[in-house]
Amino acid sequence: MPLDTSAYSLALLRVDGRRWNELRRIHAQIRTQAAADGSSYLEMGHTKVMCVINGPSEPGPRRGATSGGGGGGGQSKNAEVAVNIVIAGFSSVDRKRRGRGDKHILELQSTISQALAASLHTHLFPHSTINISLHVLSQDGSLLAALINAATLACVDAGIPMTDYVAACTAGSTSTYAANDEGADPLLDMNHQEEQELPGLTVATLGDSDRVAVLVCESRVQVSRLEGMLAVGVDGCKQVREILDRVVREKGIKMIQEGTVERGVGLNDMELD
Amino acid sequence: MASSQHVLLSPAELAYLHASLSLTPPIRPDGRSPTQFRPLVAETGILPGTNGSARICFADGTEAIVGVKAEVERTRTRHDFPSLDESAEDDDDLDDNQNDVVKGDNDWVEMTVEIPGYRDDDAGTVFLSAMLSEALLADGEFTKRLWINQRFHWKLYLDILLISPPLSYPLPLLSLTTHLALLAARLPRLKSEGDEDPLFDDDWAAAPYLYPRPSEKGSKATAPAPAARPPVTLLVMAVGNNIIFDPSKEELAVADVALAVSVGESSSSTTTTTTSTTSSKPTAMDIDTEETKGHNLRLLSVRTIDPPSRLTPPGIPNASNSAYGANAGAKDTEKKKQQQEQARTAESEAVEGVWKAPRGGAKTLVMATMVQKVLEKGGVADEVLDALDGVDLN
Repeated sequence: MPLDTSAYSLALLRVDGRRWNELRRIHAQIRTQAAADGSSYLEMGHTKVMCVINGPSEPGPRRGATSGGGGGGGQSKNAEVAVNIVIAGFSSVDRKRRGRGDKHILELQSTISQALAASLHTHLFPHSTINISLHVLSQDGSLLAALINAATLACVDAGIPMTDYVAACTAGSTSTYAANDEGADPLLDMNHQEEQELPGLTVATLGDSDRVAVLVCESRVQVSRLEGMLAVGVDGCKQVREILDRVVREKGIKMIQEGTVERGVGLNDMELD
Repeated sequence: MASSQHVLLSPAELAYLHASLSLTPPIRPDGRSPTQFRPLVAETGILPGTNGSARICFADGTEAIVGVKAEVERTRTRHDFPSLDESAEDDDDLDDNQNDVVKGDNDWVEMTVEIPGYRDDDAGTVFLSAMLSEALLADGEFTKRLWINQRFHWKLYLDILLISPPLSYPLPLLSLTTHLALLAARLPRLKSEGDEDPLFDDDWAAAPYLYPRPSEKGSKATAPAPAARPPVTLLVMAVGNNIIFDPSKEELAVADVALAVSVGESSSSTTTTTTSTTSSKPTAMDIDTEETKGHNLRLLSVRTIDPPSRLTPPGIPNASNSAYGANAGAKDTEKKKQQQEQARTAESEAVEGVWKAPRGGAKTLVMATMVQKVLEKGGVADEVLDALDGVDLN
C-alpha cells in the first residue's frame, strides 16, 4: 500500500487531511477503573490504550520475568517500576498474536519503565513495586507515545509523586529519499500508514521543559533531517502536555464538585465553573 | 490462579463467614440475596476495528473487554465424508445440492484469555479459556455458523482481556462479556454463491449478526442453526445446603463445593436434544418461542472448581499436614493406625468458631440442586439472560 507522497507536495495535506504540524484528536480519561490504584484511558486518533496501576506495594511472589525492571529490584532503596504490556489480538487490522516474550513488547516495556522510573519519585517507596499494566485495544501508529501518555495519566491518578508529566509524541519526515532533502517537511504525530512508509521517531519530554526523556528512532533517516523532526516532536510534546494537564484538572474539579475530595488549601483561586 | 488464592482471613473470620452463609436464609457479607448477582455496567460495540466487542464492569471494579475477530480461512479437505444416506437424512429440503452440508470444526474457534500478572500458559488461565470455549463448542451448533461454503469458512478469534486485577474468580465476568461480544458480532454479508471464492458485501450496515436478532425474521429463517444465544457460564457454590450464586472472593474461600455451570438457549420449543434437523421448519418454531415466556435453557457443561477452602490453609504445622507425611513417624503399623485415628478425630472434631476446611466430597443431592436451580424456569440463568437482553447492541 504505497503512500501517495506526491500528493503531499501538491496540497501540503497528509493522507488523513492534516497539515504537517497538526496532532490527531487526543481524548483521555482518568480514574476509569474503580478497583485499581490508578487508571486511565487514552485515544490518539485510532490508537486506543488503557492503563491500570497497582501500587506502590510490597512485591508479591515473583512469577517469572514479566517486567522490564527499571529503577532497581524489590529489595533496593527505590521502588521498582514493573511495566506489563498486553497487545490485544484484535487491536490491529490483521489479527496478529504476540507472545509474552516478544522482543518488540519487551523493548516497549523497558523504555516506558525507565522513562517513568526517572520521573517518579521512586526513592519515597523503598522495597516496593509499582505495577503498571497497559492494554492496547486498537493500534494506529504512535503506539509508544500513547502508552507513555496513558501511563503518565494513570500515575497522576494513583497519586504517585512525580517531577512532571512525561508527555510523548511522534514526528516524521516526508519523502524517504535523499535527493529531495530540501523539500522534506517534518510531520507531527504519525498514523500507522505514515509509520509504514516514512522515517519517524518517538520523543517524550519532561513537562514544559525541552528536556528529552525518551527518544526512540527505529528507521533510517538522514542526519540533516533529525534536528527538524526533533524540534517538531518536542513542540508536539508540549501540546500533548497541555491536553493531559487539562484532563487532570477537569477531573480534579469534577471530583471537588462531587465532594469526593475535599477542597484543599490554595485551591480557592482555581476557577470552578 | 484466582480460584485457588488464599484470602487473608483468620480462622475465626472464616468460621464466622461460613456460619452466616449456612444460615437459612444465608446472610452474605455484601447483603445480597443468595441468587442475586453483583450489579454491572455493560456496553457493546466499543471497538470499531473488531467484528464484535463488549465491555463489562462489575460493581466491585473488575472489568473485562472481549473482542471478536474473524478471518476467512480455506477449509482443509477432509477425507472422512459422511456416508450418503446420512447426509440425505439430515437435509431433505436441500436436495438440489446434496453436498451442501453445513458442518463445523472446533478448530475454527480460537480463544485466548489474558489476565494481567499471569502468564498466558498459566494453568488457571488455560483452564478458564478451556471452560469458556468448551461451553461454546459443546453442542456443535456454533461452528456451523462459521461455515461459508465447501471450501472456505470463518476462523473466529476471541480475545478476552481482564483489565482489572483479578479480585474475584473472573469466570462469570469473562463469560458474560464473551456472551455480549458474540451477540454483537457481525460477519460481512456473502455475495458469492455456492463454492466460489467468497466475495463479501462492503456495506457493513448490511452485515448480518452472527446470532440473528429475534426481530429480524427474514435472517433468522436462513440461519444455519436454531440456537439463539451464545452460552453463559455461571459460578455457583454451596455452603451446607445453601446454594449461592456469583460468589465473591471471600465467599468462595469458605465454599464446600463450587461449580461452573454452562447454560445455552435453544430457540425451539422442545427443550433438549434439538439438533439441526429442526432448522427445516423455522417459522413455526419462531412463533412458539415468542409465545412462551422465559428461555428454553439447556445444560451444556458442568465443571467443578477447586475452591481455596479445599487447600491446606497457611499456618498449619507440618506435623498435622498430611502432605508432609503427618503420620510417617510411627514405626509399627498398629501404632501408626492408632496415631492416624487420633489425628483424624482431632481434625474432624468441630470447634465452635474455628474454621476447618471441609473434608470429603460434595453431596450429590446438593450438586443436583445447584444445577437445577440454574436451569429452572424463572431461575438465575433466566434472569441473567433477560438482563443481558436489555443491553443495547449497536
